[in-house]
Amino acid sequence: MRFTITREKLQEGLSAVTASIPAKTTLPVLANLLVETTERGIRLSGTDLDIAVSTEVIADVDSQGAITIPAKKLAEIARELPSAPVRVSATGEQRVTLECGKTRFRLLGLPKDEFPSFPSVRFSESWRVRSGDLQKLISHTAFAASTEESRPILNGVLWEMRPGHMRMVATNGHRLAKIELPLESVGAPSADLIVPPKALEQIRRLFAAEEDLEIARGDNHLGFRSPFTAVFTRLIEGPYPNYEQVIPRDNERVAVADRNALFQALKRMSIIASDQTHRIRLAFNAGMVKFSVQTPDLGEAQDELSVSYEGDPLEIGFNASYLLEILRYMPTDEVRMTFKAPERAATVEPMGWSDPAKYLCLVMPLRLVD
Amino acid sequence: MPRIAVLPNTVVDQIAAGEVIERPASIVKELLENALDAGARSVEIDVTDGGRSRIRVADDGTGMPRDDAILALARHATSKIRRTDDLVGVGTFGFRGEALAAIASISAIEIETAAQDGAGTLLRAENGEVRDVGECSRRRGTTVTVTRVFSNTPSRLTFLRSPRSEWRATADALTSIALARRDVRLTATHDGRQTFALAPVSSLRGRVAALWGGAYADGLVAVDDVTGSIHVSGLVERPGDAGTAARRIFLSVNGRTVRDHGIVRAAEAAYRSTLPAGVRPSLLLELTVPGDLVDVNVHPMKAEVRFRDRWMLERAVEAAIRRALGTHESAPALGSRAWSFGGTQNGGVGTVVDTEVLRRADGGFGPLLDTPPGSAAPDSARLPDDAPIPPLVQLRDTYLMFERDDGIVLIDQHSAHERVLFERFLGTLERGEAPSQRLLFPLTLHLGPAEADAFEEHQDLFTALGFEVEGFGGHTLIIRAVPMPHPRFDAERCIRETLDALAGSRFASAAPRHERLAATVACKAAIKAGDALSAAEMRALFSALGATALPAHDVHGRATIVHVPWDEVDRRFGRR
Repeated sequence: MRFTITREKLQEGLSAVTASIPAKTTLPVLANLLVETTERGIRLSGTDLDIAVSTEVIADVDSQGAITIPAKKLAEIARELPSAPVRVSATGEQRVTLECGKTRFRLLGLPKDEFPSFPSVRFSESWRVRSGDLQKLISHTAFAASTEESRPILNGVLWEMRPGHMRMVATNGHRLAKIELPLESVGAPSADLIVPPKALEQIRRLFAAEEDLEIARGDNHLGFRSPFTAVFTRLIEGPYPNYEQVIPRDNERVAVADRNALFQALKRMSIIASDQTHRIRLAFNAGMVKFSVQTPDLGEAQDELSVSYEGDPLEIGFNASYLLEILRYMPTDEVRMTFKAPERAATVEPMGWSDPAKYLCLVMPLRLVD
Repeated sequence: MPRIAVLPNTVVDQIAAGEVIERPASIVKELLENALDAGARSVEIDVTDGGRSRIRVADDGTGMPRDDAILALARHATSKIRRTDDLVGVGTFGFRGEALAAIASISAIEIETAAQDGAGTLLRAENGEVRDVGECSRRRGTTVTVTRVFSNTPSRLTFLRSPRSEWRATADALTSIALARRDVRLTATHDGRQTFALAPVSSLRGRVAALWGGAYADGLVAVDDVTGSIHVSGLVERPGDAGTAARRIFLSVNGRTVRDHGIVRAAEAAYRSTLPAGVRPSLLLELTVPGDLVDVNVHPMKAEVRFRDRWMLERAVEAAIRRALGTHESAPALGSRAWSFGGTQNGGVGTVVDTEVLRRADGGFGPLLDTPPGSAAPDSARLPDDAPIPPLVQLRDTYLMFERDDGIVLIDQHSAHERVLFERFLGTLERGEAPSQRLLFPLTLHLGPAEADAFEEHQDLFTALGFEVEGFGGHTLIIRAVPMPHPRFDAERCIRETLDALAGSRFASAAPRHERLAATVACKAAIKAGDALSAAEMRALFSALGATALPAHDVHGRATIVHVPWDEVDRRFGRR
C-alpha cells in the first residue's frame, strides 16, 4: 500500500474519525484506525464497537492496500507535520512509514484482519433525511436522555419515523424533551429507533446541515451516510415507555415568561439550592412568580419575576437544574409553561417559534414539604 | 431454752466471709487492696494450687505496729475511716474492716509486718483465733500468708472449681487492679511460674501493652473528655477490630474497679451504627467524678457503686466515646507500628495518640477551648471541613487515596458514601423533610411475601425518606416519587435490595427501626465499588465524609478510612 496525501486532508480525515476511538479498551486494535485505499483516495475508520465512523478523503494512491495504525500517535504526528504532502507506505502487514519533507516516521500497526468488520446495513433500502433537520431534532432532545444505567432504554433517544413527520423523544424519567418535524423525505419507513446519544452527537458533528443523508437499518444497527462519511451505530433494543400517556393534556394553569429573565432568576436561586436535589419553590400568582429556596445548614433566597399567568395560584417545587437545562434549549425569547397541580407534570414550550417544528419539554415536580 | 440467741463472733465472721470471700480470688483481691491502701509501691503475689493451698501477698507498704496487727484481725477494725462522714467520698479500696477478719475466719493466716525496717511482728491465727504472736525481722511492709483456705467451711470447699479456673478468676481480679493502679509494680506467680511482671507505667496504654501486648494497645483509641465535673478517659476498641479478639471490659470509678451495666451500655450506644449486630467492643474506661456523686458503700465486695446522677454520667460516657470514634485515629492502620514501652505519656508512635497530644497541649485535661457541655468539642483531628481538599486519586474504581503529612490515607468509596447517606437519611427521618422527585414513568415492583411484609412494616419510614409508594393489590408496589440522594441513584434497585435485606434479617438487629432502615437504604443507595468517579464527585464525597459525625466507620462497622503511616511505607522500602 502506498499513497500521498496533503497534510490538511489527512488532518480533516483524522478529526472526523478519532472521536470514535475509545480512550480505554481491552481490544488493542480498537485503539487503531483502519486505513484503506479506495478509488477516490483513502478511507479512515474507527470504532468502539458501539459506534463506527468512517470517512473518505482524497489522496493519490500508488498501490492498493489496508493497514491499521495507532490512532492517537497518527493524530499527534499529523498535527506536528509541516504543511507538505505526506507519503505513506506500508510494508508487510504491520509496518507503516510516513514521510513528509525530510521528516520520517515508522510506526508499528496491526493487520487489517484484526479490525472488526462494520455492521451490515443495507443501504439499498435506505431513506433520505436532510442533515439540518436531523441536527435540529438531536440538539433539542439528546440532552434529556438518562445517563444512569438502571434503565438502559432511557439511555437512548427515541427516533420515530412516521408518514409525514418524524419525532425525537428523550427522557430520564424526571424530565422529557420531544420535538416533531414535518418530514419531506422519500421512502422513509415507519419505524421506532432508539439511538444512543453518543452516536447522534457524532452525526450532528460530522455532517454539514445542507447535506442529504442516506439512512438505512440493519438487524440492530443504523447507518447514516453522506457521499464521503458514514456513521454506524448499535440500536438500543426494547420498547420505549409510552411517553404520550404522560404528556399532560389538561394543564389549565398557564404562565408565559421571558426566557432569559427566568433563566437568570433560577440560576440565582440554585446557588442556595441543595447540591443533591437542587430544589427550589415557585409560587405563581396573577402577574407574578415568586421564587424561594431554603436549604438546611446553608440558608435561603427569594426572587420575583413578573409573568403573565392564568389560573388559580399555585406553589410547586422543581429541581432547578432541570428547568435551567430545558430553558437553555428553548429556541425563543418567551416560553410558555403549563401546570395542573403541585404533584403533576409541568410543560415548557417555546412561544412564537417561526420554525415548523413542534417542541415540548416536560418536567416532573419535586415534593414540597412545609 | 430461748429460741433466739446472739451468734458467737466466729459464726458471724464466717457469715460475713460468705459475702466478702467467695473464692480464693477474693482473698487475693482483698489482700492486694489492703497492700495498696497501705501505700505499697511494689506487691508480690504468690499463689499455689489455684489458691487452695497457699496465698501469699507481700508488700512494701507502711506495715503495722504490733498492737495494730493483733487488732487488724478483729471484725470492723480498720485504719481507713474513723467517722460516718469519712464514708462520703472514701478514697481507699477498703473501709469496712471486714476483709481480714473474714479471711482469718476461714483459714490459717500468718502476718509478718514491720512499720520500720528491722524488728517486726509475726502473728499466726487459725479459724479467726489468734494463736501466736511473736517477733520477726523484715523490711518495712507486710506479708500475709493464707493457708488451708476454707478448711473449716467444707461446703465452700466443695464449690471451688479446678485450680486452673480459680487461678483464672484470680488473674482477672489482678488484671483489674493492675489496670487501675498503674503506678505500682505487680508481680504474681502461680505454682512457681511467673504470670504477671508489671513495671510501674504512667499511662493506661502502657499497662495494657504490658498485659496484652503492644499491638493490642496500639490498636485502641484513646478516650479523653470532660463533661461538667465528669472526666472520662481510657481506651476503647476500634469498631473495625471489635469482635476479632476476646472482649475486655474494665471500668473504674475514681480509681475503684467496678461493674456497671448502665455505663457499659452507654459506651456501646456510642458505637451505634458502626458495629454489626451482636458484636460488642472492648472497653477500658476510667471515670473521675466528684466523690459526692458516687456511693461506694452498696456492695460487700464493692464491685458495684451507686451514682447520684446516672443519666448525666452515661451521657458523658457516650459523648466521650462517640467523640473519640469520630476522629481519624479510630480508623485502622495498616501494618504494625512500633510501640515504645514505658516511655512518656504519649509513648505511642503513629496517629493513635494524636488526640492525646492535642488535648493535653494545655497541660490540663480540659478540651482546648471552653465549650459548653454537650456541644461538639473542637476536633482538630477530624477530617477538616474547610481545609483545602487534597488531590484525590481513585484506585480500582473502589478506593480514594490521598496524602497527609503523616502518611497515605485510603477511603473506601462505598463505605464512605454509605456513612454520608446514613447520616443524611437519619437527619431526614428525624426532621421529616425529604425532597422527593416525582417520576414520569412510575416504577412497578413485584415483591415476595416476606418483602411485602417488610415494606408494610416500614412504609411510613419509606415515605419519610421521600419514596411515594402505593400498594397495587397483591404484592405489587407502584413507586411514584423517589428521593434523589445523588445523581447515580437507582431507586428501583435500592428499594428492592432494601426490602430484601429487611426481609432477610428481621430479628437480627436491636437498633431502632428508623436507624436500621436508614442504614439499609444508605447501603443500597450508596455508590458501589467499581463505580468510576469524576474528580468533582470524589471531592464532594471527601468533604461530605469529613462533615459526618463518624467518618471513619461505615454502618456495618467496617472501616471507611485506612491510614498507612509513612513509617510503614519507609520500612517496606527499607528506608528505616
